[in-house]
Amino acid sequence: MTLAYRPGSGVLHALDPRAKLALQAAFALVAFAHTTPLGLALLTPLAVVAPYLADASPLAALREFWVALPFLVAGPVVAAVSLGPPWIRLEAAAAAALASYRVVLVLLVAAAYVYSTPTRDSRAAVRWLLPGRIGAVAGVAVALVFRFLPVLQSDLAGRRDAVNARLGSERPLRERIRLVAVGGLARALDRASRLSVALRARCFAWNPTPPPLAYRGRDWLATGVALALAAAALI
Amino acid sequence: MSVESDSVDLVGDEIVERVARAAVFAALAGAFAYVSFPNPVSPAPVTLQVLGVFLAGIYLGPVWGGLSLALYLAAGAVGAPVFAGGSAGLGALLGPYGGYLWSYPVAAALVGLVAHGTSSLAKPRDVSVPRLIAAMLAGTVVVYAGGTLGYAVVQNVGLYRAFLVAAVAFVPAEAFKIAAAVGITRTEDLGAA
Repeated sequence: MTLAYRPGSGVLHALDPRAKLALQAAFALVAFAHTTPLGLALLTPLAVVAPYLADASPLAALREFWVALPFLVAGPVVAAVSLGPPWIRLEAAAAAALASYRVVLVLLVAAAYVYSTPTRDSRAAVRWLLPGRIGAVAGVAVALVFRFLPVLQSDLAGRRDAVNARLGSERPLRERIRLVAVGGLARALDRASRLSVALRARCFAWNPTPPPLAYRGRDWLATGVALALAAAALI
Repeated sequence: MSVESDSVDLVGDEIVERVARAAVFAALAGAFAYVSFPNPVSPAPVTLQVLGVFLAGIYLGPVWGGLSLALYLAAGAVGAPVFAGGSAGLGALLGPYGGYLWSYPVAAALVGLVAHGTSSLAKPRDVSVPRLIAAMLAGTVVVYAGGTLGYAVVQNVGLYRAFLVAAVAFVPAEAFKIAAAVGITRTEDLGAA
């Protein structure tokens, strides 16, 4: 299962994406500012509750990040080992372990955001965040990245199957990379030129109509919590 | 509720073309993150993400190559599964190897700058091989500097240790990607590009 939006009726689902982004950023800020046993102990309940508020379990959220886990474990281990007496440096290991644990908390909260926020909401938030022409184009371009990712993935997978079927897997690594990437790149260039024709045909404009974003009471509440967290980071 | 009553302000043809290319290259870098090969000289498998960074610099130039990878980060931050292993969200950007991700736009811009200079874009096929290699080596240095620095800051370890854990295993694979990218620009089936 890849980390993606899941429809649901959690508390976080009902919030405005901007409020959720503020919460997420504030949480990361506090976690980085207070990487102490006490600070992280206080933040842990928040991070564990976050996936529940997005109708998911913390375990499922952790499973999304299994690729990062070896790196998180390696940090304290490498910090602990030293190439001379005293061989094991416990203090450095403890600092690195706290840092690793902090990342786990930040990842949990980030997963809760992704679970509870449809991408078009995020896109609207991007447009709101970056005003004017940059925001308009960035909003559309981000949407295009979402649209073309699966298409190019299947182009590359097909190309790879084709190369393997012709015994490409027996070739040296450099050749394999080149053969697969050339196919992907040729398709991508082709798709880009057709896309630009299609955009022009549909009057791609600097000022399209944005989807409505409305701040309600609970969004202000969430923003208040975010501000409080951010303030806690400064203490 | 406010009502906008502006007239439609069309985006110019040239910009449309560039935005389309930037978006597709950002998606391509994301799709490359899913392609991995076993590495003959190191236990870490080779993924092609960095090749996407190189190609964006070479084919889009310094400005749009950099913007394209910035777009890649923005799309990943709001939830597109474009980062290594199909991860997404601000968590990946703040995680242990977020430093790599932050360095991509800078690296793509630098690759474009060294390969094309500040004047107009040359066809990638017409850029000399030494120049291409120099451009991609510079890009590689930026990517690994960013990755090491990011790991050191996030994991709270020294730079040397961060380099050992987060970078050393991946460096040898870059040679294959640089060689492959040079081969790509010299490939006949890319037609006009």
